[in-house]
Amino acid sequence: MKQAQVPAVLESVLHEIPGIQITPKEGSRVRVDVAPGALPAILELLKGQLGFMHLSAISCIDWPQTDEFELVYTVWSHEQKMTVSAHVTIPRDPGEYVSVYDIHTPAGFFERDIHEMFGVRFDGSPNLRKFILTSWNGPPPMLKSFDTLAYVEETFQWVDYRPEWLRDIEAKGGGIDSEGEGAPS
Amino acid sequence: MSDTTPVIPDQPEVCRTVDAEERGVWRRVMDRFADHCRARSLFVLHYCTGCGAIELPPTITSRFDMERVGVSPMVTPRQADILLITGYLSVKTLKRVILSYEQMQSPKYVLGFGSCTINGGMYWNSYATVKRLDQYIPADGFIAGCMPRPEAVQQVFLDLMKKIDAGQANAWQDYYLNYDRYLGNQMALFGEEWHTPVDVIAEAEHYGYVGDGTRGRFTEILDRHAAYALRDAPEDYPERGANERLLP
Amino acid sequence: MRPQNYRPVAHPPSHEYELYFGPNHPGIEGNYAIRVRLKGDVIQEAIADGGYLHRGFEKIMESRLWIQNVALVPRICVPDPVPMEDSYARSVEALGGLEVPERAQWIRVLMLEVSRICAHLFTFGGNAATIGLYTNMFWGVSMRDLFLDIFEEITGARIYHMYITPGGVRRDLPPGILDKLSAVIDELERRAPEFDDLFFDSTVVMNRAAGCGTMTQEQALSWGVTGPNLRACGLPFDLRRDDPYLVYPELDFDIPTETAGDALARMRVRKAEVQQSIRILRQVIARLPSVKGPIRCPLPNPLAWNVPAGEAYARAESSKGELGFFVVSNGGDKPWRVHVRGPSQMHAVQVLENLLTGARIEDIAQIMFSLDACPPEVDR
Repeated sequence: MKQAQVPAVLESVLHEIPGIQITPKEGSRVRVDVAPGALPAILELLKGQLGFMHLSAISCIDWPQTDEFELVYTVWSHEQKMTVSAHVTIPRDPGEYVSVYDIHTPAGFFERDIHEMFGVRFDGSPNLRKFILTSWNGPPPMLKSFDTLAYVEETFQWVDYRPEWLRDIEAKGGGIDSEGEGAPS
Repeated sequence: MSDTTPVIPDQPEVCRTVDAEERGVWRRVMDRFADHCRARSLFVLHYCTGCGAIELPPTITSRFDMERVGVSPMVTPRQADILLITGYLSVKTLKRVILSYEQMQSPKYVLGFGSCTINGGMYWNSYATVKRLDQYIPADGFIAGCMPRPEAVQQVFLDLMKKIDAGQANAWQDYYLNYDRYLGNQMALFGEEWHTPVDVIAEAEHYGYVGDGTRGRFTEILDRHAAYALRDAPEDYPERGANERLLP
Repeated sequence: MRPQNYRPVAHPPSHEYELYFGPNHPGIEGNYAIRVRLKGDVIQEAIADGGYLHRGFEKIMESRLWIQNVALVPRICVPDPVPMEDSYARSVEALGGLEVPERAQWIRVLMLEVSRICAHLFTFGGNAATIGLYTNMFWGVSMRDLFLDIFEEITGARIYHMYITPGGVRRDLPPGILDKLSAVIDELERRAPEFDDLFFDSTVVMNRAAGCGTMTQEQALSWGVTGPNLRACGLPFDLRRDDPYLVYPELDFDIPTETAGDALARMRVRKAEVQQSIRILRQVIARLPSVKGPIRCPLPNPLAWNVPAGEAYARAESSKGELGFFVVSNGGDKPWRVHVRGPSQMHAVQVLENLLTGARIEDIAQIMFSLDACPPEVDR
């Protein structure tokens, strides 16, 4: 995979911001690591000067090793034909960040989704009510600390699978290894 | 409220009760005749509960054409005969499925479509989907596979028609006979405040399918809800919380 | 006993009422609900309510091997599964530094375009049915079935193919499939004027769809609209051209646009896109026999495949808009995080809520179908 140069136009706009790190990635994507405080300013700058109008996604990644959440803002410019993904890292406790809804309207949905799935609060987001998990009382399910298989085994029951041919095998001392790894209880 | 036991008001006469006389030989002959006719005109509730709904348009429309054997979609649960659970059921959908199922007129038939309704299928370790459909509502048949082909859907309809014709598609009676067990499973998932607008026990009495499993400790919880709802609801009554969770 | 969904309204004005539209409603695409507040039959406020199709994909993908997830991804969007497989595969390839052989890239384009035609035919039929034209639905579905037969012959499955794997495709095309595809395309082209007569020249469509659910280009851009819905507002934004992937740079096709931005314009864009897809498929059919070589690059043992740490964002132009897979690896044999950005996450929530405000109740279904909102993609 060929490593591209950092596009000059991006460097000329972003060089003034302190502590920023620009890395070219696959295709037309450029990764930008920023401090949490500088992100709204950078999104504003990219939108105003380079036409990064379109917010593709906000992705949240849980890193329990460092007790942090990583937020990735992926923006696309119709003018530059380029993707920038801006990475910020916020501490898991208290897990709060600012909303970018006033810069990019689609952020409303993504912030609502991240709030629901990870429990991150976004100050100034217009609507953080539950959307998908309205019947859910447990912890935010996308957290790494939430074990989905343990929850399933506690909540649901499996079909007792005992067909005829299996009974024959069991009569001879064989059968399904239900103690092995990953076997349903 | 703790010092008074809830008063269960007398149930109003919902529908006409059936005499024992009527359930005689003549009645059974008529039932068989009705089953024979019923098997030839089935309406499937138009409810896309999961991804299996994508194979229903080809099944119903011109290529495979289930209408030629008398199966047709119907938009309201109250006029539908078959509830086709097309694939996985999330917990949120299961609530609506139970509400739809209880609104349907008996006799009613449930078909599970795809592996997800049998044992969770592909989503066996997903926290969001229900693993076994038949724990919550009784099912008459299942189609294995993901995604089952339209021919498989046709086959299960034809099998169901044969079963109805022979008077063997009786899973709906099991819901009345063992209502307490089904309700208990539903409550285990949705919480004890779960209740539906349909009075299933009155229906069971009407159809004459009250068994040992119709009433039990879970239906007692239900009666308590009814008593509270008819009187002034106390402050700690959990109804409001249940509504909050149901609606966004 | 109070109904389960009972909720007291605090002194509502007598001329306003609330309606719960869906999930058990034939006018809703998939399993989805909209809570609308009405005055007469004009919608004052619409609140989308999703989550009925939530399967926790992003969570269960973290507990499966990289190769096992190939079976999971097409299930995220039911009517248009191939772009899901392709985007996931491309994101894993970007992480693992795999080069897809050229023949596999051509086969993938073939699959993607057939899937696009299928999805558009389905939407076309559904959209017509929402305004009472059921013949179109029958025709669209039966036409789509011919393409599903092609899928079945190539992959063995009608709906969920699981055909595109990281590194290439699962197996080569069966002999004679290109001729069969040609015949199906010709049939679709032969039928196209009849579809026009029935739908686009119909008075019902002119009266109902024109001016329904209109959005301007500025609104569309600020709401994050992509795909045919954005092109119906006049902006020729297509990721196949603007952020090209696979062999799309070598292909010759136009990006159809309309300017009206209403339901009719969106359907016209889809119709023109089907014609462009046919054009692309003809080029692929002409080119594929001359492209020789392997169909998959050598993969490590898929059961113990540790993809190098890093992150990748792969996007594709699906039939509904921009589809993105943001995949993070920590160097393990399972993904650390997969985030699916479906186009309908915008279209079915914020855009739908905005477009429904001020619309009439009979247009809810039409607006939803003309946006081609796909609920499984929203809920994941």
